[in-house]
Amino acid sequence: MTNRIFLLVLALLAVLDASCARRRPGNAAASASSGAINAQPTGGSAGVVKIVSSLPRTGSANAQTSTTVNGIKMALEEAGNEAGEFQVVYEDWDDASAKKGDWDPEVEAANADKAAKDPDVMFYIGTYNSGAAKISMPILNKNALVMISPANTYTGLTKPGMGEANEPAVYRPTGNVNYFRVVPADDIQGKAACEWMHKLGAKSVYILDDRGLYGKGIADVFELTAKQTGLQVLGREGIDPKAQEYRSLMTKIKALNPDFVYFGGTTQTNAGQIAKDMVAVALPAKLMVPDGCFEKAFIEAGGAKNLEGRAFVTFGGVPPDKLTGKGADFVKKYRDKFHSEPEGYAVYGYVAARTALDVLAKTGKKDREGLRKAMTEYKQDAGALGTWNFDSNGDTSLTTMSGSIVQNGNFVFSVMLGVQEGAPKAETVPAPAQAPGSGVGLGPSAQLFFDGKGQDPAKVAAWQCVPAAATPTAP
Amino acid sequence: MTTESLLLIFAVLYPIFPVFDLAGEAAGLQLHLDQRLVTIFVYGILVVALNVQVGYAGLLQLGIAAFFGIGAMATGVMTVDKYPFHFGFWGALVCAPLVAAVAGAVIGAPTLRLRGDYLAIVTIGFGEVLRTVLINLENITDGPRGLNPVPEVWTPSWLRDWLGAGDAGEANLLVMYYTALLVLVAAVVVLKVIENTRIGRAFVALREDELAAACMGLDPGRIKLMAFAGGAALSGLAGCLYATNLTTTADPTNYDFNNAVMVLCCLIIGGLGSLRGALLGAALLIGFDNVLSPLLDRGIQVAVGDASHPLARFSSWRWFLFGFALIFMMRLRPEGLFPARRVAAELHEEPEEA
Amino acid sequence: MLDTLAQQLLLGLTNGMVFALIALGYTMVYGILEFINFAHGDVFMLSGFFALTLVGASGLQDAQGFSLFAQLALVLVLASGFGAVVNLLIDRLVYKPLRKAPKLAPLVSAIGVSFVLQNIGLIWGALPLDVFGGGGQPAAPKSFPALLPTDNLLGDAALTLQLKDVLVIGASLAVMTALFLLVTRTKLGMAMRATAQDPQAARLMGVDVDRVVAATFLVGGGLAGFAAVVYALYINTVYYQMGYQNGLYAFTAAVVGGIGNIPGAVLGGLLLGLVRAFSDQFIGAQWQPAVLFGILIVLLVFRPAGLLGSTAREKV
Repeated sequence: MTNRIFLLVLALLAVLDASCARRRPGNAAASASSGAINAQPTGGSAGVVKIVSSLPRTGSANAQTSTTVNGIKMALEEAGNEAGEFQVVYEDWDDASAKKGDWDPEVEAANADKAAKDPDVMFYIGTYNSGAAKISMPILNKNALVMISPANTYTGLTKPGMGEANEPAVYRPTGNVNYFRVVPADDIQGKAACEWMHKLGAKSVYILDDRGLYGKGIADVFELTAKQTGLQVLGREGIDPKAQEYRSLMTKIKALNPDFVYFGGTTQTNAGQIAKDMVAVALPAKLMVPDGCFEKAFIEAGGAKNLEGRAFVTFGGVPPDKLTGKGADFVKKYRDKFHSEPEGYAVYGYVAARTALDVLAKTGKKDREGLRKAMTEYKQDAGALGTWNFDSNGDTSLTTMSGSIVQNGNFVFSVMLGVQEGAPKAETVPAPAQAPGSGVGLGPSAQLFFDGKGQDPAKVAAWQCVPAAATPTAP
Repeated sequence: MTTESLLLIFAVLYPIFPVFDLAGEAAGLQLHLDQRLVTIFVYGILVVALNVQVGYAGLLQLGIAAFFGIGAMATGVMTVDKYPFHFGFWGALVCAPLVAAVAGAVIGAPTLRLRGDYLAIVTIGFGEVLRTVLINLENITDGPRGLNPVPEVWTPSWLRDWLGAGDAGEANLLVMYYTALLVLVAAVVVLKVIENTRIGRAFVALREDELAAACMGLDPGRIKLMAFAGGAALSGLAGCLYATNLTTTADPTNYDFNNAVMVLCCLIIGGLGSLRGALLGAALLIGFDNVLSPLLDRGIQVAVGDASHPLARFSSWRWFLFGFALIFMMRLRPEGLFPARRVAAELHEEPEEA
Repeated sequence: MLDTLAQQLLLGLTNGMVFALIALGYTMVYGILEFINFAHGDVFMLSGFFALTLVGASGLQDAQGFSLFAQLALVLVLASGFGAVVNLLIDRLVYKPLRKAPKLAPLVSAIGVSFVLQNIGLIWGALPLDVFGGGGQPAAPKSFPALLPTDNLLGDAALTLQLKDVLVIGASLAVMTALFLLVTRTKLGMAMRATAQDPQAARLMGVDVDRVVAATFLVGGGLAGFAAVVYALYINTVYYQMGYQNGLYAFTAAVVGGIGNIPGAVLGGLLLGLVRAFSDQFIGAQWQPAVLFGILIVLLVFRPAGLLGSTAREKV
């Protein structure tokens, strides 16, 4: 029996050849070397272009991804689901599985593969998790499919010399850039956080991270900057994001008496519990967290009382209620349409989709390689995030960062970090990649705007009193 | 023709005649089942591996994901540029199961004399230890970044050209597809043969009655260790394919308890001790999670339009389905959907206690 | 340094008490039925949601003084009752029909029940209540209001002892003593012990085994409900996946102490709490699971029946 099965397999393999040729008639000319771009799949509907997003829609990241998807939908709706000659269809894909209850590499790989093979898919908006991007980037790169991330901030995805030695080349087997992100990366944010801490008068910090790609990455940047700028790092430790509580850890930190605790992590990796346990052991230090916690769920999880005036959140770009011009229009429309406040990433979803529509309209062809090239030359003029373009790595030229504080159960904008919006006009020519510390983010030209004289630790509390205009108007 | 050979023919021919994909396309859906079948094959090997330990030998182990992770990590270490080994895929395919087997023997030797439930907790514990160690030993495992890039399956270029007909992506998928299928078939054939040898019968004897087996001159410790190490080796094999398919060892949280429980569910729904059951269990559950669930979500999106509430998607309800499936299965058909004859007989002659 | 160590000791003890409360439910069911009730942690989790709902509905977060404590006691009782009833229902509907099936059947069913309860917890979190943040994000952890005053009972001393620490330890000890008395001094307890030793012999002696099993599930569920309120007051979080992690720790505690052994579960819980605290202090938080489960493995290798467990052979 066994022998017969193997003979059968061999026989079947023998008939494969003819069938293969029949299935893919036009592709014989393409080269088979691994660095080459795969041929674009043929077929599909002539006047239709699909934009898909791959975000974790199950599990606790849902709050952020829902708002991102809403942003994407708004952009499409505004354009009447059309771009140039094309009718645009949007599909919202989930990269989470029940098995993991969170984003799952297998599902992300399958999504990328599915998108690559669908002749109608021209843009892939995603991912939310930087770890997921690592999986789908090489797959989409080989297919020259444009990928626009509204949320990934891990530096190694785009910037040479900031992650592993083989990053980001390993994500670009063809050597071309097909991955673009509309959010500033962690090298900028980590530095901005450190700078903010200095301005708040902090002298020492204890650094925690969630042992995740994003959380650890940003904590690394933060630690490096802290050491370079003379902020005393009292310790660095990872946490188990699945643990129930962190009181023993906080007790240990309490004995060291830092001014600040910096946690590189997200709401999903237990930032709320960390905030609670700091209060529970009466650790007087303040807590600073990155944009992964810039969502209502963080306040809900940490408890508004515990966070009041002592939780500091950095965010790439400006918070929704501080957006001006088209950004402010976006926020207003979002509130009207979805009857809720847009979370931080909504505008990035919107801008990602807007970018895709613009590039498609301008190119006017369902040609992936053409669209990819058009992306590298794209510039958004006075959009919801102002004027910006992509640099040669696929990073946004925006380096604006903002800091918010939790007050009365809401995020209250407090300070602009990095380059002031609108001040330096983005150049049309993509800027070359910059080495760390050479002007990206908080170089000498960077400005910090805040309304107090926060250098003195004693005045930190007074400093938190931000102008009343900054308080968001809840609908 | 048996069901097995029909399924095998179907699997072999699927990339050439993707009937479901074509049917899906006609209905306006993009399925691309061939890519997802690779995942199902990988999990098929994993479920078969667990079957050796739980199904044949009756060792209740809940840490299969740890050996899966060890296999993936070993593959990473043996293939990525960072290390001097550069074994390539085929070298790793041989070494990864060996490493996993050694790990299985090391953890198994001292703990196998524990009673059934204690073994369960020790294996859960081992899984937790491994997850923590993989994340924290960053110098070796690259922590959450994972070892990257794990090379694709090495194949002679003429074979690649022939398979892909010039399309590199297609060739890669086909090579991966047939490699995974081949490894799966080989694993199943080997186990099928073992089932009817001295060792296979010794496993079952041990499961049915350890005391009696010992009285008949079998060495329970040695046989348990063989089952444990053998299962671990197969899990390592699956891990190797998993990492190759993803081209990275991925974040170590992929090898945690949730994964182990999922594999156990596959085995139980399919049928303990039954190879056919193990494979079909993997196909059903992983297929459900990776293929059907996204389709249903898409369906809801189309039907409801604006489904922004998290409960307005099927994914938020799928644990009910898994849970009730297990509960009803145990009540109505504890031997699984495709049971092994011996296990079914065992489960149905219920010993009268009082 | 000494203050820090004393504080860690206190934290370890309080955490350990919570683990012990959950562990008791595991160990009692195991002692009688020889089966790991994987769903026990999720009964605990659902009781937490129940308690939070009660708090939200009664406006307890704004109550003060005597009315606060009276209502809190009521919440404790109700949540314990809820846990007990849920646990009993699960036994009646799912486990009881499988009593004579091979061991794996109830175990797998328990995993199934655990999935179902987790999904219920997820949907419960979507209730449009203020305590659930409006219910828009069911999967996010829910904040349980800090109801008890957080003043340091020791005044200005470096060691912080809060009312909730005292309450956790006091209430847990009271419940454990009551349980110990129940098992050693009452007729039901005697029946339980008899059934645990040999169900058939117990039946022959006129013990209604079904009633004993039902009582065991009731008591175990009640303990889980009680533990949920204590946990929520202490940790201030309710989360639909908290059953898994706490269940795993509690089960580990039960095994360390010697499964089936009631004082063993308490000892195991305390030990686990202390190991966690001191491993965070001296080794580093990122190694916590490795230290904890590493100790478990080593311990089981050298003492296969746990610390207090008798080296009972598997029933043949």
